[in-house]
Amino acid sequence: MASRREKFTRGWWFILPGITLMVLIVGAPLAMGFYYSLHDVFLYSFRNQVFVGLENYRRVLEDPLYINALRITTIFTIGCLVIAVGLGILIAFLLNARQVKFRSMWLALFLIPFVMTPVVGGIAWRFFIWQQEFGVVNQVISLFGGDMRYWLLDRETALLATIITNSWHLTPLSVLVFYAALTTIPDELHEAGRVDGAGPFQALWYIVLPMLRPHILFVSIIIITSAFREFDMIWALTGGGPGRSTTVLSIFAYNRGIANQDMGMANTIAFTMFVIMATVAWLYITVYRRRFQEH
Amino acid sequence: MTPHTRKRLNVWVVHALLGIWVIICLLPPVMLVAASLNRTALFRTPLDLLTFRDFSLENFQVAFTRGDFWFFFTNSVIISSAAVVITLVVCVPLAYGLTKISGRTRQAVSFGVLAMRFIPYVVLALPLFLIFVNLGLSGSRFGLLLAHLSIHIPFATWMLVGFFDTVPHELEEAGIVDGCSPWNLFWDVSLPVVRSGVIALAILVFIISWNEYLFALFLAGNDAQPLTVGITRFLGGTEAGAEYGIIAAYAVLVIAPVILFALFANRYIVSGMTAGAVKG
Repeated sequence: MASRREKFTRGWWFILPGITLMVLIVGAPLAMGFYYSLHDVFLYSFRNQVFVGLENYRRVLEDPLYINALRITTIFTIGCLVIAVGLGILIAFLLNARQVKFRSMWLALFLIPFVMTPVVGGIAWRFFIWQQEFGVVNQVISLFGGDMRYWLLDRETALLATIITNSWHLTPLSVLVFYAALTTIPDELHEAGRVDGAGPFQALWYIVLPMLRPHILFVSIIIITSAFREFDMIWALTGGGPGRSTTVLSIFAYNRGIANQDMGMANTIAFTMFVIMATVAWLYITVYRRRFQEH
Repeated sequence: MTPHTRKRLNVWVVHALLGIWVIICLLPPVMLVAASLNRTALFRTPLDLLTFRDFSLENFQVAFTRGDFWFFFTNSVIISSAAVVITLVVCVPLAYGLTKISGRTRQAVSFGVLAMRFIPYVVLALPLFLIFVNLGLSGSRFGLLLAHLSIHIPFATWMLVGFFDTVPHELEEAGIVDGCSPWNLFWDVSLPVVRSGVIALAILVFIISWNEYLFALFLAGNDAQPLTVGITRFLGGTEAGAEYGIIAAYAVLVIAPVILFALFANRYIVSGMTAGAVKG
C-alpha cells in the first residue's frame, strides 16, 4: 500500500509545475476570451467595457456575415478532409507497393509541403501556381487547349483553390500516418488476397481500408482541427476575398477584432469556434472509446 | 496479358503516380528557387524560369539588405529556440509524471490536455492581445513566446505521454530494486529510452514556432516581428508582382531551415508525426 501511495505522490511532483503553467497559459486567455465575449469592448475606448450578457451571441447568430463565414469554414474543412484523406490513402498504398524502393527518400520529399511555412506556401501558390497568366495551372490548362481562369480573383473558384492549396499542405500528414499503419499489415494478408485473385484496387478496398479505419478517424480529427482554424494559408492566398468568398471564421474574427476594433464581437465569434471544436473533440473521444478500445 | 507484363505495368504505374505526386509537392518551393535565381521573374512562364537563362544572385543581395532581414531573422531564431527549450523543460517531466499517476486522474488530465489541442489559435490570440495590452507585454518577444507556449505545451505533453508509455515497466522496477531515487528513475532510466522521441519533439516544436504567423500578426507589434511577418511586409507595395524575384529570394531564406530539417532529419519528424497515430 505504501508503495502505491509513493508512486502516486512521485508522479504529482513531476506534474504540478507543468500543469500549473499550462492552466495559466491556456486557461487564462480562454477565460478572458469568454469574459470579453459577454461585454462590449472596443479597442478605441478599451477602458469602457459594458456588460451585455449573451447579447453578443444573439447578434452573431443573426448576422448573415457570420453564417456565411461558418458556411465557408465548413466547406473548407470538409473539402480539405476529403482530399487529404483520399489522396493520403492512395499515396500510402502506392508507396507500400512491393516494387517501390528508396521509401525513406520518397517520404522525405513528401514531407516538404507539410513543413513548408504556410504563409510562404500560400505566397508561392499565389504567384507561381494560381497566377492568371503564367501560373502553372493555367499553363497546363492552355497546353490542353482549355480556358485559363482567374483562380484566386474569381468568386467562383477562389474557395476551391484555397481548399486545394491547403490540402497540399495537409496531405503529407495523412500519407505518413497511413503509410506507418500499412507497414504493420502482415504480408500474409496481401498474399491471401492475391491467391484469392484480388486485383490491386480490390485489395485496397477489401483488405487495406478496413484495417485503416481507426487511423482514418485519427487523421480526420487532426485535419478537421487544423483546417477549421486555418488562417495563415488563406490569408496569404486571398486575404479572405474576393468579396467574402474565402472569409473563414478565423479571418472573420480577425477582421472584426483588429480591423474593426470590435473586440467583444471578435471574442464572441472565436468562442463559438471553441464550442464547435470542443463538441467535435468530445464526439471524437466518445466514438474512439466505443469503437476501438472496448474490445 | 501474361502475369509478367502485368507486373511490369504495375511498376510503371506506381512510379508514375508517385512521381506526379512528388512534382506536385515540390513545385511551389522549386518555383520559388527558380524565381529567386533569375534576374527578373516577371512575365515569364514556369518552364522559362527553370532554364535560369538570366541567372543572378542579385535578388538575394536585395533581400538581405532591403528587407530588414536580420531583424526578423533574430526574432524568429530567439522565439523558436526559447520555445523549444522551455517546452522541453516543462513538458518532459509533466508527461513522465502523467504516466506515473493512477488510472482515473490520469484519464481526466489527459482528456484536458487533448481538449486543449483542439482550441483554434484565434480563440487564444484575441484575448491575449487585450491581456498583453493590459500587462504592457504587447509587441514584446516574451509575450509572443508565451503565446507560442500555449500551443506547444498541450501538443508536446500529449506526444511525450505516448513516448513514455513505451518504456517497459520492468526497467523502472529494476531501477527501484537498485535503489534509484525518483529523480534517477526519471533522468537515468526512463529519459534515455525516449531520447529520440524528445529530439523529434524538439524539431517539431521548432518548425511550428518558425512557421507561426497568426500569433505574430496579432501580438508582435513592431519590435518582435518574426520572418513570417517580415515577408508579408515585403509584399506590401509590390502587389502587381513587379518584384517576384526578390520576394521569392526572401521566401527561400525563410523556408530554408525547415526544408533542411525535412530532408535531413525526416526520420525524427516522421516518428513524431505518427507518434499518436497508433494510440490516439
